[in-house]
Amino acid sequence: MNDPAIEIKGLTKFYRHFKALDDISFQVEEGDFFGFLGPNGAGKTTTISVITGLANYNSGSVRVFGHDVTREYRAARALIGLVPQEFNFDPFLTAEQILIYEAGYFGLPKGKARLRADDLLNEFGLSSYRRLDFRKLSGGLKRRLLIARALMHQPRILIVDEPTAGLDLELRYKLWDFFKEANRKGITIFLTTHYIEEAEKLCNRIGVIHEGKMVEVDEKNNLIKRIGHDTIEIQLDRTLPTMPESFSELGAELMQGGTIIQLPQENQQFSKLLRLIHAQGIDILNINSKKTTLEEVFIHLTRNKK
Amino acid sequence: MKSLIGFKSLVEREIIRFTSVFFQTIFPPLVSSFLYIAIFGFTIGRQIERVDGMPYLNFLIPGLIMMYIIEGSYSNTSSSLFISRWAGHIQEILVTPLSYFEMVLAILIGGLARSLVTASGVYLVSLLFMRTPIQHPFIVLTMAVFVSLSFSSAGALIALFAEEFEHLTICTTFLITPLIFFGGVFHSVKMLPNVLQVITSFNPIFYMVNGMRYGMLGTSDVPIAQCLIVVFSLFAVLFSFTVFLFKTGFKLRK
Repeated sequence: MNDPAIEIKGLTKFYRHFKALDDISFQVEEGDFFGFLGPNGAGKTTTISVITGLANYNSGSVRVFGHDVTREYRAARALIGLVPQEFNFDPFLTAEQILIYEAGYFGLPKGKARLRADDLLNEFGLSSYRRLDFRKLSGGLKRRLLIARALMHQPRILIVDEPTAGLDLELRYKLWDFFKEANRKGITIFLTTHYIEEAEKLCNRIGVIHEGKMVEVDEKNNLIKRIGHDTIEIQLDRTLPTMPESFSELGAELMQGGTIIQLPQENQQFSKLLRLIHAQGIDILNINSKKTTLEEVFIHLTRNKK
Repeated sequence: MKSLIGFKSLVEREIIRFTSVFFQTIFPPLVSSFLYIAIFGFTIGRQIERVDGMPYLNFLIPGLIMMYIIEGSYSNTSSSLFISRWAGHIQEILVTPLSYFEMVLAILIGGLARSLVTASGVYLVSLLFMRTPIQHPFIVLTMAVFVSLSFSSAGALIALFAEEFEHLTICTTFLITPLIFFGGVFHSVKMLPNVLQVITSFNPIFYMVNGMRYGMLGTSDVPIAQCLIVVFSLFAVLFSFTVFLFKTGFKLRK
């Protein structure tokens, strides 16, 4: 059995007296596209900082492909590519130099680094900007350069902190395609994002952190199934002032001022309800099946834990 | 092998950093050394009797070279590391598989390279006025390298402790510059009253200047062995402390 890409056990981290991470434990398997979600200040970036060596921690253990991030930090870091939230480029270097030096720090000889930089500059549409220093690049180009830099040493896991924040839709979709393709090729991806839609589209597993505590970790579909409530909405041809008792007994609720009846799908009483509606002489205008979104699950998890 | 490539890459980046702003890092010391030599050494110095049996200009050059080695190495690492902390690109290095020892040594070698380039330049400038011999090249090189690495470490330490740019210059103005001027760059300790001679013996820069003077001229106010012991000890303490702070992540990791 392979070591997990990330294995965190009992991780606790204080900033002075503030407990930023409170005994969190979870695992990311190799090949996962893992979405790490949480509100602002929940501890997402702190967790990433601990994994990548940018933050110390007070207790617990963190391993990357079996390597302890403190005792075997060199082996652990060699396997990680980090795309940070903030632009942290060396202002003295051009876009191309940034990539070549990054590869050098990870032990790639200069000849190979140049070839790899060429490939990534092309892939991310940065070729014509290679001789510019990063301060002259637009926000979108800088974001692409951050991702290209993280890939220079061909990491086994890509840790991506809010990669599409502030980007236009076109670039966001391009990056989504890129991440999906990278994951398909075998790179494990650990993604934090504020766009829940992004996590829903890309990730196969989700972890939710709130106020420094892990609230949930599961397969995305299991999580939605477990926590979400898919419903059926029946739109009526009239307004019901009150819900007939026979409807309520099936678990149905009256919505939108009495024009819609909502029934949880798991009740499996749909046919019976239709018969009752028909028996009352009410006509049905429309029927909708409403699936729970990850966003609704996320809101449920983070609101209920307050 | 991989680690060596990483180390070399960081050294190269540190060198690019100061060579890309040549007019800010290398050129000014060459101009000011020309002025020092022209005014103090050549013009005023001709009115001064021989010092330790040699012309004042010859006496001045080793001290001047040491002064620029100290200033160049200190300012290189202090600015490089502080800017990278301030702008955040130190993170680029901290997430790599380089060991903390390699990170520190590479940053210090940047300071060493800058100070050796400056020192060579100052020596060449001095040749415009008078030829100063180099009697013990190995001692000159040893002093230059270890003094530079010591002050590069000092610069790195200040960069870690500093909260603002101002703190870097405060240290230069109120500590390093006075120690340099009282360290015997422009005078022999024998010219001072006894009390000041005793006080000077606690100034590490005094041993550095005299070590360089011995290497170039074969004469010194203190035995060369003493100079070497002071320089090696200072380097060992400052370098170890810098590596220790990198390991613990002081002001580097959250």
